[in-house]
Amino acid sequence: MMRRKLKVAVFKFASCSGCQLQILNMEDELLTLTDAVEFTYFLEASRATAPGPYDVTFIEGSISTPEQEELVRRVREESRILVAMGACATAGGIQALRNWLRLDDVKRAVYPNPEWVKALEHSKPVAEVVKVDYELRGCPVSKERLLSFIKQVLVGRKPYLRREALCMDCRRKGNVCVMVAKGIPCLGPVVQEGCGAICPTFGRGCYGCFGPSIDARPEALASRLREIGMKDRDVARLFKGFTGWSEKFRKVIDELEGGAR
Amino acid sequence: MVSGGIYSGKFGELRKLFNALRLRGYRVIAPKLEDSVIRLKEVTSFDEVPYGWEDIQAPGKYSVREGGKHFRHGPDAPKRILYPPRLELFRLRPDWSVEYPKERFPPTALFAIKPCDLASISVMDRVQGGIGDPYYLALRKKLIIIVENCVEPGATCFCSTMGTGPEARDGFDIAYTRLDDDLVVFRPGSDLGVELLSELNIEPATDEVLRKYYDALKNASLKAKAPFELERLPDELELGLNSPVFKEVAERCFGCAGCNMVCPTCFCFDVIDEPELDGGAVRVRVWDGCFSYTYAEVAGGNFRKDLWARYRHWVLHKFAYWVRQFGVFGCVGCGRCITWCPAGIDLRETIKSVVEWVRSRGGS
Ligand code: SF4
Ligand code: SF4
Ligand code: SF4
Ligand code: SF4
Ligand code: SF4
Repeated sequence: MMRRKLKVAVFKFASCSGCQLQILNMEDELLTLTDAVEFTYFLEASRATAPGPYDVTFIEGSISTPEQEELVRRVREESRILVAMGACATAGGIQALRNWLRLDDVKRAVYPNPEWVKALEHSKPVAEVVKVDYELRGCPVSKERLLSFIKQVLVGRKPYLRREALCMDCRRKGNVCVMVAKGIPCLGPVVQEGCGAICPTFGRGCYGCFGPSIDARPEALASRLREIGMKDRDVARLFKGFTGWSEKFRKVIDELEGGAR
Repeated sequence: MVSGGIYSGKFGELRKLFNALRLRGYRVIAPKLEDSVIRLKEVTSFDEVPYGWEDIQAPGKYSVREGGKHFRHGPDAPKRILYPPRLELFRLRPDWSVEYPKERFPPTALFAIKPCDLASISVMDRVQGGIGDPYYLALRKKLIIIVENCVEPGATCFCSTMGTGPEARDGFDIAYTRLDDDLVVFRPGSDLGVELLSELNIEPATDEVLRKYYDALKNASLKAKAPFELERLPDELELGLNSPVFKEVAERCFGCAGCNMVCPTCFCFDVIDEPELDGGAVRVRVWDGCFSYTYAEVAGGNFRKDLWARYRHWVLHKFAYWVRQFGVFGCVGCGRCITWCPAGIDLRETIKSVVEWVRSRGGS
């Protein structure tokens, strides 16, 4: 029985292309994958494109300009399942650091002709503009999770990916907790599992690239980090780094910074 | 000739015992110092066991130092070996026939584990063993246990209160106690234990050694205590269901489930089916825990949507429901959930406060 191939599209917005690259990095699986999947729009892989509708669309990048806002709305209309992929698409990305500054100041600091740059006030996660069906987190997105997601769509089930705290995976893996054994600040208790606990495996704390876990309590972690001697400003910075613009982290950051924007 | 009873010998006899296990083909799993933490891992040489090191434990804190006399357990419990964190249960081939994994477990010796961890195995025997988990039983029947009694309990240990230590009562093949640098007391607990001890150069303990031995263990048992008693504890805790203590403590909790993961008896799991590109699939079992949000999630909602309710459930399962379910406490007093909680939350304090709350309202 030959099933119709799944039509997959990959669109890039404000991003570094690292997440898309994770698709091309599936070197061992890519050939088998293309038996079941047709990449109909994926500029990083091929300039040949086909129009929608698409079965699954992966969105990489945050929404940072008025054009992007418009494009992502059109893409949404063409997509049966829309997946926000990576820290930029799910939380605004590193570039969302500018959201705490004045746009004009940022433009002037970066571009010789700031008046040419048309940007939105904030670098926004896709879900702030259109409905997102699934999120695949990470900076970059995890190749294993991406593949697992595609496989699950292919068999026709509702994709299931655990969204609990990274600590669970970290400990399953047999890592020693760096907070407890080394006093290193770690965001793992409030960050979604999925990366395989890469950072703690190498003896450093998680810096939060997967964003808040389901039911995360960053406020409790922030108090603990202060209790073990971190300054408010440093705690705020830690939360800000990769997924600071996610709703949950943003709240804590704003409290730590005294609501200053 | 060794039979039941108590024997003593020099420290070197421990090395002989270790080597005897290896010679008989056992995979030996023992405490091992790795990156400044005492792990529980496969050890191929007796010298890897961290005699001469000690750990320092406190709520949310762990370190080691050289020159100490006694080590306690680190973060890894026997659960990690007997009930692996991620276990492939079976594979579905593309033609939908089922393939079970082949026998994967070599005969295994746990060497120098602590009495609380030994007790955790007997709890697992009731739970995983009781329901007939074939994956657990396959490993369990090939297990031999050499336990090291604790002369110096750590600051987060409360096995004495839980009745699980610092001296191992039963369920071991051999129990030994290091009384001083060159004096070790041995007790066999099974036929195999007797057989192994017969190969050592040990003799029945003299009265003087026995006195030393009992004194040391008595001293130790005065230490590993929690600020509560077990008598009536399940009932009192259930009377404390509405105590504000759970909410207060949960304010500091992250819900990270780290405690569930390190706890030697927490048995909850999630089953995940992972489809393969060839049309087959793999079913895996991974550790889960009641602190996680999705754990109690069902279609249409969550029975314990608030973290305080999940925190309360964990305490009550360990100290009340478990007793009714399995006839034993679900806690062996190892203190791992205290040491390894990144928030530094102390279970003993929670229980003490709930009991105080109940009593202050005349509830007991
Ligand atoms: S190292 Fe970080 S992620 Fe791992 S258990 Fe500790 S706090 Fe959690
Ligand atoms: S540990 Fe944290 S920062 Fe590191 S890869 Fe994982 S989610 Fe990202
Ligand atoms: S009690 Fe500690 S280890 Fe357990 S979930 Fe809360 S913060 Fe995590
Ligand atoms: S509840 Fe805590 S002290 Fe009790 S057995 Fe589990 S980890 Fe050890
Ligand atoms: S305390 Fe929680 S995780 Fe542990 S066995 Fe009970 S329900 Fe499961």
